[in-house]
Amino acid sequence: MPNNNDKNVTKRDLWRVLLRYMFTFQWSWNYERMQALGFAWSIMPILEKVNETKEDLKLSLQRHLNFFNTHPPMGAGIIGAAAALEEQGAEGEAVDSLKVGLMGPLAGIGDTLFAILTRPIIGVFAASMALGGSMGGFWLMILFGLFWGIGVKIYLFWQGYQRGADIVQDTAAGGTMDKLTTSATILGLTVIGGFVPSILSGVTTPLEYTETVEVEGELTEQVVAVQDVLDQLLPYLIPVLFVALAYWMLRGPLKWSPIKVLLALVVIAFGGSLIGIL
Amino acid sequence: MEEVVSPYGIGTALVLGLWAYIAIVSMLAPNISFHEPIVAGAVTGIIVGNIPLGLAVGGTLMIISLGMHTYGGATIPDFLTGAILGTAFGALAYDGNVESAMATGLTIAVPAALLMTQLDVFGRAITTVFIHGADKYVEDGNFRGVTLMHILGQLPWGLTRAIPVFLAIWLGAGPVQRFMEWIPEWFQEAISTTGSVLPALGFALLLSMLPVKKYWPFLVIGFILFAYLEVPVIGLAIAGAALAALYFHMKEGEASA
Repeated sequence: MPNNNDKNVTKRDLWRVLLRYMFTFQWSWNYERMQALGFAWSIMPILEKVNETKEDLKLSLQRHLNFFNTHPPMGAGIIGAAAALEEQGAEGEAVDSLKVGLMGPLAGIGDTLFAILTRPIIGVFAASMALGGSMGGFWLMILFGLFWGIGVKIYLFWQGYQRGADIVQDTAAGGTMDKLTTSATILGLTVIGGFVPSILSGVTTPLEYTETVEVEGELTEQVVAVQDVLDQLLPYLIPVLFVALAYWMLRGPLKWSPIKVLLALVVIAFGGSLIGIL
Repeated sequence: MEEVVSPYGIGTALVLGLWAYIAIVSMLAPNISFHEPIVAGAVTGIIVGNIPLGLAVGGTLMIISLGMHTYGGATIPDFLTGAILGTAFGALAYDGNVESAMATGLTIAVPAALLMTQLDVFGRAITTVFIHGADKYVEDGNFRGVTLMHILGQLPWGLTRAIPVFLAIWLGAGPVQRFMEWIPEWFQEAISTTGSVLPALGFALLLSMLPVKKYWPFLVIGFILFAYLEVPVIGLAIAGAALAALYFHMKEGEASA
């Protein structure tokens, strides 16, 4: 039931919500309800204003202590929209269904944009600068962090607040997002295709063999580096095989966890080096 | 490696422990990259006085960690702690050559990152205490208590990094240094090979999360651009952007035709 009390939520209250969310959201992350306490505590300044009695505030906080988990920068849009709904005196169920309905899709979009597309591209640039001894790699990562951790959160919070539930739903279901992810996927795959040989270029074999060849009627012995033979077949063949092997261990019939694959690669690389084939 | 540099004192150990605490908590919020290996390594480099080494160790660990993301709160190797310990101990073996000091640093960093997953799971298990505490405070109407629980929630995360880093730097510097001097050449070579192979996992993880079956030609084009034409990374990114534009251009052209 909508309550029509004089809630007078101020701009200052909203900033308090945003700042709490931005700087502390996952501090109380836990296995049981993940980001629930962070959400409840962040939105508390609004709840304190709109709930007249202590009993109402209690019930309202308990509602917000239910399971919640999403991508933190994207989730700023959710808490912005939730703040708008709470301010309008929407029913608890409406706020809950907004949260539950959006946390999954936005987590998927946020993880894709962050972990699969932008972080690897920026990360490789930053790493190549860092490996060259340049502090530019450090600053690039800091800027990247400020973009996601501060910029995206501020933008999405106010978007979510001003347009209420609508905008957030549009973003999750709309075609603009689909086009953006496809473009980013193509860009990402092209770059990864080049990064595999460039980053793994140090993975070569020191193997050699001796063959007898006939030069102008005389038999001479010649040392042939296996790596040269492989390079003629396909440059960077060994790096490609390692990525293919790791991919197969993750996605093939084995379905290994990343940590298991990590250990397997350590054993193969370490052993390969000991017996002199890597 | 022959020259013994004086091991770290309790002051450095405290500062590095504090840095580990701040960096891991900032991973929870405000998510501003302090926990990324490059940043963690560079700051450690500033503290121990070897920035190029911190950048190199961090950069290598950054590449290894590509594609590793804590999806749904999964535990992944702790490259943050790895970068701090790898840089700090690599600096002890520094004799003017970043490459060899980095190899030494990685012999510490990679095992440390793997061992730390155990502590990560342990720390995360403790965090449940705080949400139950918050439930109780709400029930009692003590809203300050709720605030307290939320703020204290960071302790298991911060302490599971700060304590091992502090102890390793303070107590372990001497023993770790002696251990590193004892490490034979072939072992260091094998570790260095391992370090150069591990980024393959980062790429494989990344690819396993992308629709490779549908868009594999772009992967091949990227490979050819580098392997045969030696196009640098910026060129790859520009080519990728052009290909994406082309893809939609042709797709929309088809639709309107």
